[in-house]
Amino acid sequence: MTPAFLYALVGIVLFSIGLYGLILYKHLLRKILAINILGSGVFLVMVALADRIGDAVPDAVPHAMVITGIVVAVSATALALALMLRVNEETGQAVLPEDREA
Amino acid sequence: MLIDSPHWIIIIILLPILGSVVCFLWREHIVKLALATAVGTVTSVGVLSWQVITNGVQRYELGAWSAPLGIELYLDGLSLLMLLVTAIVGFAISIYASAYFKDDKTNIFWPLWLFLWSALNALFVSSDIFNLFVTLEIIGLSAVALVALSGGANAITAAMRYLLVSLLGSMLYLMGVALLYHSYGTVDMVLLSLRTEMTPTMWLIMGLMTTGLLLKTALFPLHFWLPPAHSSAPVPVSAVLSALVVKASFYILWRLWIVVFPLADHAQANLGFILGLLGSLAIVWGGFQALRQTRLKLLIAYSTVMQIGYLFLAFPLANVMGWKATLYFILAHAVAKTAMFMAAGNILIHRGHDRIADFYSMAQYLPLTISAFALSGISLMGLPPSGGFIAKWLLLEASIVSGQWWWGLVLIVGGLLTGAYVFKVLGYAFIQEDSSNEPYPIGISKRMEWMALGMALLAIVLGFIAPFILRIMDIGSPFAEVLS
Amino acid sequence: MEEINVLLLFDVVLGLTLVWLAWQTLSSLDLFRAIVLFIAFGLLMALAWVRLDAPDVALAEATIGAGLTGALLLSALAQLSASQKNETKPSLFIRLTLGVLLFFLVIALAYTVLSLPTKAVGLSVEVAKNIELSGVSNPVTAVLLNYRSYDTLLELGVLLLALLGVWSLGGVSTNKSSFPKSSFVNPVLDLVTRLLVPIFILFSGYLLWVGAFAPGGAFQAGAVLAAAGVLVFLSDWYLPSKYSGFALRLVLVIGLVWFVSMGFSFVLLDNAFLEYPPEFAGGLILLIEAAATLSIGISLAALFLGREPATKSDSNIDIDTGVNK
Repeated sequence: MTPAFLYALVGIVLFSIGLYGLILYKHLLRKILAINILGSGVFLVMVALADRIGDAVPDAVPHAMVITGIVVAVSATALALALMLRVNEETGQAVLPEDREA
Repeated sequence: MLIDSPHWIIIIILLPILGSVVCFLWREHIVKLALATAVGTVTSVGVLSWQVITNGVQRYELGAWSAPLGIELYLDGLSLLMLLVTAIVGFAISIYASAYFKDDKTNIFWPLWLFLWSALNALFVSSDIFNLFVTLEIIGLSAVALVALSGGANAITAAMRYLLVSLLGSMLYLMGVALLYHSYGTVDMVLLSLRTEMTPTMWLIMGLMTTGLLLKTALFPLHFWLPPAHSSAPVPVSAVLSALVVKASFYILWRLWIVVFPLADHAQANLGFILGLLGSLAIVWGGFQALRQTRLKLLIAYSTVMQIGYLFLAFPLANVMGWKATLYFILAHAVAKTAMFMAAGNILIHRGHDRIADFYSMAQYLPLTISAFALSGISLMGLPPSGGFIAKWLLLEASIVSGQWWWGLVLIVGGLLTGAYVFKVLGYAFIQEDSSNEPYPIGISKRMEWMALGMALLAIVLGFIAPFILRIMDIGSPFAEVLS
Repeated sequence: MEEINVLLLFDVVLGLTLVWLAWQTLSSLDLFRAIVLFIAFGLLMALAWVRLDAPDVALAEATIGAGLTGALLLSALAQLSASQKNETKPSLFIRLTLGVLLFFLVIALAYTVLSLPTKAVGLSVEVAKNIELSGVSNPVTAVLLNYRSYDTLLELGVLLLALLGVWSLGGVSTNKSSFPKSSFVNPVLDLVTRLLVPIFILFSGYLLWVGAFAPGGAFQAGAVLAAAGVLVFLSDWYLPSKYSGFALRLVLVIGLVWFVSMGFSFVLLDNAFLEYPPEFAGGLILLIEAAATLSIGISLAALFLGREPATKSDSNIDIDTGVNK
């Protein structure tokens, strides 16, 4: 198996782990971490499959897309963290109301 | 000649961006600058519409690089109508918002809103599925920030939930994009439509992208985030969200369905049935929930959940008339829902609350606003003459023509439920209160009332100009098998 | 042959470590530990990118994905109250069901991926064919700043929007007491900052320059600049208030505005938007990237700071000296 497919599989597993974490864990910081891992999984699939080219220069378009994706992810994370802090301020806990303990 | 320039298609995207930047920089004159941008954008869309109606479909290669290497823009009748409804709703909301927001919220609202408008325009003309991802992100982040603008626990938690859902949807969509690119070597929709084949991989891709986009469009049962977000946002934001933002992700799903996904007839029928079923459930569930609400903004938000269901009824039909009905629903709903939210906003400011049971004498104090509510209700119910009626009529015909008349039943049930909650509100508004309470001050500016009424009237007018709208829909045959 | 096996072993170990780190990050009871593991995860991702022949992505991941995101996470954690950081586990039934469903998803996705052809060139041929016309020789830069520059332009917008959102949520900095003008500054941090910040700025300029023909570019350069900014904020230095109004906002938007202007510059000569004639392309791209680097760097640093800096007119406290006016 070439590195390309190996890392693509890793990406798929990361995608699922992120999805699992996003749905299951209650604390907003964990959800934000889960989304980041989910995103990393998608990026890994995108770039890994571009490496199926043997010794030649890999396809640059997926690389560019993933760089764009990384910047989008950090922007979204920053906004999410700011919101999380406000949720904490307004409700006393960094969880969504439906996830609150009693 | 300037009017014939091929660059208007990017001006509609760049002008609001520059307007947003200018509003961000020069805060002293922010409202004037923002309104000027709004006027400019609407004018540009107008010029573009004239071009498309006279000359037909437009294509634009950004950087002069053609697909698959570069990004292309594509403008047909479907895109044009989405641009038009965005322009009209956007303009009305801009005017409404200029009276609605005060003090430092204006500094945040206008740059975010103008950028959102730009991204909507960019989305409706894009032919590149990765570019669509970027526009979706702009729309998502700005919408979330706008929801949070209300402040307070409800809005903040609603915004947080909305952001997480939006990001999940985007990531599912992006995974689909990655798989499509690596399967077929391009992210351009037209090229993909020529290359895609019905393989098991394609099923998974469709599942991923559809789920992601359905999350963003809030189709039952993935609608849970919408009522809190749309009801706790500031009123102009609620209108933008219900009228335009949820339609943006729907538009992408629609294009993928018609253009990219290589659906053979049986696959189309089966998947279409699932979507139609979910749409029906949305209509029934949303309708009942709307009826149960005691607060007006929540009622209107659940009404949106219900009306989104209508958009999916055409998927099992797979005929051109069904698609045209769907587009007509989008146009009518956008305008009517904007009017309804504006009316709710007027009531909220005037009365200080939106508890429906305490709406007595509202019709006396805010006749324009209540008329707006009533007229937009007529369109939502699908009563003639209105845009909603045309849409319903077209869909009924489409369902009969395709032999699946039961979708028509769902439509009728939907109309009844809508009627019930609209009349509930109107009923309370017309109650005359005999007590000697002091008269409430009106407290809202004239332009807010007139914008609400204007939008509502437009929803009715849409009932009269159907032939014209339907002709525009045919430009470029967006609902035919392959894009020209 | 043996060398390939060793590399494959390395890849397997790296892949497993990534999965393990991801799992540990999410299941950690202590949030601080979770974030540290996440930063480690990001750094190992950068290694994975290197193994996949994606050095530009590796640079972006290390600086932005691991570095800046890590800084943001730690900064946010510090502002959460200590009490409720633990998590009660959801019921076993739910965990099992979700686990099974996701297992099937993994299988389905794996099948999909493995059924793709073992060799594929994607658009690399197209990219290479036109590279001389693009003005740069790094293909990733060519895609980002020429072929698909429209996406990059919009992306600068995403960054600006996020900052706008964060500012709208954070309030204005002098209201909260978390940024006092302290009289004590950690001397080690102070020294490290003084040494590193000029190096970072220089390195940022280098990454910007080299991006045209080697891995690098505006985003990576901007991130390094932001790192310098983060260091500087941590040492209790703040922008003098006369710059934190219009001047700051101007710098934040200059990348986007410049990008749009450059994109339009040849439209009057009957070119498309963002079309650069080949003889000017290299220079234009460098100029655009320079402005973008500045904006990206300041934006990312501002995201770290979190709150919109107050301007003179906003408060009763003289921001520069902390004295009540």
